[in-house]
Amino acid sequence: MILPIRNYNENINFKANKSNVAQEAEFDKDTLLKNNLSTRARIGLDKVTKAFTIYPAKGITGSINSNFYEFLTMGTMPYLVGSATLMAVFNSANKYFNHNAKFKASQLGNKMALGVLFYGLFKEMSKSFVNLPVRLRTGIDTEIPYAKVNYLLQNSPEDYNLTSIEYHKVGESVDFPRWDQLYGNPQKGESLNFRYDKIAKKIGLGENLKDSDQDVKPVYKEVLVKSKLAKSISSFLWAATGVALAFQDSWSNYFNVATFKFWKGRDFTDSIKAFGKSFVEASKSLWNGGADAVTKFEKHSGKALIGVAALSTVLGVLNTLNLSKKPNKCATGEKVLDPKKESVVG
Amino acid sequence: MKTNNLIQSYINTHPQNQQYKSNKAAKDFDINKELSNRTFIKPLPSNGKLLKKGLFDGPSELAKDFKYDVKAFGKAVKGKANDHELGRLNDVGMKLGGLAIATYLFTKKQTSQAKLFEFIGLTSFFAAMDIWPKLFLQLPAYLIHGVNVRQQYEDSFGRKKMFYQDHQFIPWDLYSDKEINKIGDKLNVPKDIPNRREFIQEKMRKIALQNNTMWMLTSGFAAPIMSALICNGLEKPVEKYLYNRKEAQTKNLLANFNQEAAKYDYSERIEGLKSVLDTHKGQPLSETVVKDVESVLTKGLNPSLAEAVKFDLAKDLDYKSAYSINGDTIDELRNVLKSHFEAVKLPDDELDKIIPNRDVIAENFRNAGIMDAQTPEFSNHTKVINNLLEQNIKNYLGDNPDTKLAKRLEFILMNINHSAQTSQKTPLEQVFEARPAKILSEGLINKLTSINDIIVKFAANTNVLAKYAHEQVGQAEHTLLADVWNNTSDDIMKALKFTPDEISKGKLDREFAGAVLRNKIETITSDKQLFDSFLNDMRTIFVKMYSKTSGMSVDNDNNLYKSLVSTTFDNVKNDLMPHNMGKTIETLWGYDNSNRASLKQAYLDFVADRITGVRSSFYRFLELNNLYYKVSHLEGLGAVLDDKMLREVKEELVELAKSTLLEGHTSDFAVKFAQRRNLNPEVTDTSQIEVKEGKVVNRYLNNVPNGEKVEVPHDKNYFSKVMNMMFGGDIHPDIENKFKNEAFFDDYKAFRRTVLEKLGGEKYFAFPHVLLDGKEYWATSFERFNKLGSAPDEFIFKLFNNKFNSKTWLSKFGKLGAGVAGVTLISQFFFGKMKAPQVNKEAG
Repeated sequence: MILPIRNYNENINFKANKSNVAQEAEFDKDTLLKNNLSTRARIGLDKVTKAFTIYPAKGITGSINSNFYEFLTMGTMPYLVGSATLMAVFNSANKYFNHNAKFKASQLGNKMALGVLFYGLFKEMSKSFVNLPVRLRTGIDTEIPYAKVNYLLQNSPEDYNLTSIEYHKVGESVDFPRWDQLYGNPQKGESLNFRYDKIAKKIGLGENLKDSDQDVKPVYKEVLVKSKLAKSISSFLWAATGVALAFQDSWSNYFNVATFKFWKGRDFTDSIKAFGKSFVEASKSLWNGGADAVTKFEKHSGKALIGVAALSTVLGVLNTLNLSKKPNKCATGEKVLDPKKESVVG
Repeated sequence: MKTNNLIQSYINTHPQNQQYKSNKAAKDFDINKELSNRTFIKPLPSNGKLLKKGLFDGPSELAKDFKYDVKAFGKAVKGKANDHELGRLNDVGMKLGGLAIATYLFTKKQTSQAKLFEFIGLTSFFAAMDIWPKLFLQLPAYLIHGVNVRQQYEDSFGRKKMFYQDHQFIPWDLYSDKEINKIGDKLNVPKDIPNRREFIQEKMRKIALQNNTMWMLTSGFAAPIMSALICNGLEKPVEKYLYNRKEAQTKNLLANFNQEAAKYDYSERIEGLKSVLDTHKGQPLSETVVKDVESVLTKGLNPSLAEAVKFDLAKDLDYKSAYSINGDTIDELRNVLKSHFEAVKLPDDELDKIIPNRDVIAENFRNAGIMDAQTPEFSNHTKVINNLLEQNIKNYLGDNPDTKLAKRLEFILMNINHSAQTSQKTPLEQVFEARPAKILSEGLINKLTSINDIIVKFAANTNVLAKYAHEQVGQAEHTLLADVWNNTSDDIMKALKFTPDEISKGKLDREFAGAVLRNKIETITSDKQLFDSFLNDMRTIFVKMYSKTSGMSVDNDNNLYKSLVSTTFDNVKNDLMPHNMGKTIETLWGYDNSNRASLKQAYLDFVADRITGVRSSFYRFLELNNLYYKVSHLEGLGAVLDDKMLREVKEELVELAKSTLLEGHTSDFAVKFAQRRNLNPEVTDTSQIEVKEGKVVNRYLNNVPNGEKVEVPHDKNYFSKVMNMMFGGDIHPDIENKFKNEAFFDDYKAFRRTVLEKLGGEKYFAFPHVLLDGKEYWATSFERFNKLGSAPDEFIFKLFNNKFNSKTWLSKFGKLGAGVAGVTLISQFFFGKMKAPQVNKEAG
């Protein structure tokens, strides 16, 4: 077996570097990161910043080091710019209109803007509806990130030791998951397979397995594929639910008092309260079809949308948890090797 | 060997561990041969290929992709999909989500157009995302550089991918040397440089990367704007398509009238009545039964019709006119008496002495001739009962002289004969009225069932008529008449050729809009050539408007709606006749065919009035032009502005006529106009007014401060002259000659005459003598309102707003879109710049 390189760094410091020592590369090798809020936020910020600065600059100059990761990361730009443009399309011209027209156009514009916001919010949040039960039930974190150190080509003979950091997920590719990132570091007292052991125990493959990594990998891969499918379908349906929620008339109460001026304490508090109240009212209205609903179609379309989104999540999770990959067995179903015992082959 | 066996067994039983066998493996590839000659081991030959699909491959590609996605979904459900398949499924999810949004919003929209645009919006957004890079990056890059930056290829496993997706792994081997050199020639790469292929590849890579980056930089702006512009551009064609579709649908409604009527399901109503009638068949009618029957029969009917039906059936369902008195009545009577006398708590044998027994009551009733009777009143019955009770009580008290119940018995007797509350019946009356004489007989059931069947048929027919009328002329968005209004208004707006500044000013408020419109018409009418061209536009617009509304109009005897209204109401009248439903027939049909208060007439008037309202508004605009043109050239005004009229009065009169026709409402006509005038005009000047460039050059009008002027409401001649100035006299010959051969011209002339008479001849209680030429013309206020139409300044104000809003939006985002497109196109000329290596001199 080729031993993996130890590369799990638990001591990521997000504080500003106040030392006088010149800033060195943050990672000197591919490093597994903890999947927590601060890491995700940092990665997100890093990606967004680079998507708007370094990567386009590299791409537009035709850099030899531009790669697919940078292209994909730049995809954030049309998403964010597109959202802002979509909001602007429905709002920015309204100020030139007469009061009545402005009022009517703003009603739609506000809903549109909120819809764009809720689209993104619901889409991202709904992924947790799949990730969380899958992680709790199988111990597999399908979203666990790692920092990849990318060695760059020379632009000129003077260039040396050029690297860039990319943030990927271990399960980003189902064809080539980064299994190596999941191994422990024996030098730090970690068991080599401790992550695989945990998963094996959780999914019922047993404890103290000699090669838990080999047993877990097929299952891990299956979970990755199925959960990706579940998220691909359900997240967009939840996003649609978010848009439908934003299009309820109840939000007009919020828009009447909405303010982001947090320094105006009372107004800002009222705005937050109105948001909460409108959210509840809008949810009810989405479910009941609102006061104007007459036909059955109108009355139940909201329920149907929520139902389809919820059903896609539930089915997706159930399918993900319904594991078909079995531990090593021969054709007769007998275990060729007892995974709990050391076997000598040769 | 044991281990080898184990490994072999493992491989054989675990498909995932077996070597992948591509379906597309080279046919001449023999692994044993390759292994036996290790010197020649090399990577497997590529089975990938560049995809060269044209526009016409679209449908087959779409079907192929769909098949691939379905297969990928199946594999993903089983946990066996690969990255490429999962990537495609993510796109499927995105489209599904989009479809869910459009479908939900579809349910929230009221009109077909709004509903349709939910899906057009969705499609246009996806189309914009797809078209933008193809049209503004791929095409120009190909035309300028000869490089297809969005080249696709199929890999060895049949997966479709972008050739330049990952710049670190570009499968250059799919391009032959010949193809690369051809592209190199287009790129003007010198032919004799060293490593020409590598240089060309690098140049292609660079161009593709720069284009891909540009795609990411621009599509965030481009896709939403392009999508919005597509929707904007599609608005008119979609509106036209829906108009034609709705027109055909509404025509079909009437063409298949009986089939359409049959679609309305009244089985619940029919069953409802049957259930009520079956339940109470042969039983006396009661308030509950009658209410149930009436409720079913009048459900969903016009209130006046419902009242008429109730009125006509009142005699048949009259359960109060007579009540049956028989043995059952006596039993019930005794029960009621017992319940009252129980209060004195006498033993049963004692109580029987007070309450007369069944036979005694029956005999007494018989003796009085009131047994087994049907009667509306019960004084004799009450008298008999009271006499018997009084006698029994008297006997009882005689037998029991020591009893202390005398007063209480008298009190009970009194209670039996009196009601507790004013409107309540006495206990005895309640017993007598418990059995109405009217029975729900077979005959009555048949009659009610027949009437219900007639009403059901009538309701189904009128539902179709009402639906047709609404779709045609209803006051709602995107009815056919509403679309005619919108299109005609837009056309008039175009013909007036307002400048952006005028639109910007006119949208501020109605007064500004009026001033802009007045100025525009004065300018147009002052120039005969310009006005002639404007009239040509007006002729086209009015011919179209009249033709469209004529199809809906019930003035035409051949109108199918009109004849179906007649047939429907005639039939219901004939059907109801045998059932003595006079009031209902009167409500539906009137006294005779000319009765205008009937429901039948309402069905016709609804259509006629709506069309009149729309036509009148446009005719009033035409009349505005007629007046302004006459004033601009001082032609055709002699009858009003005669030589005897003072110049100052003429100026006042012209100003009032021009402004009233532009801004006036029916209320202004009703109060005979409120204009402040100079009480002491210059009496020596009777000259004609002066007009310059369509505007009156007033010599006197503004000389006296407004505060010193007063209203002169009793000046009946002045009122008549203003009315005649606006709607009277001849139409200017230039206009008449232009329009006289058109179908709408007579209608326009009729409009002028009607407005002149009905608004000028309205009697105002404050100045009853101020009438058009001293004559009174009767009309309802609605008729006057409808005939006068909208004030031109009001409808132009709304149009200014619409125009300004759409122009502002279009200008803002059109410019932004054009800017993004321009930058994207120009940037192409800066892409792929590379310094060519030294020419290979040896080769040279």
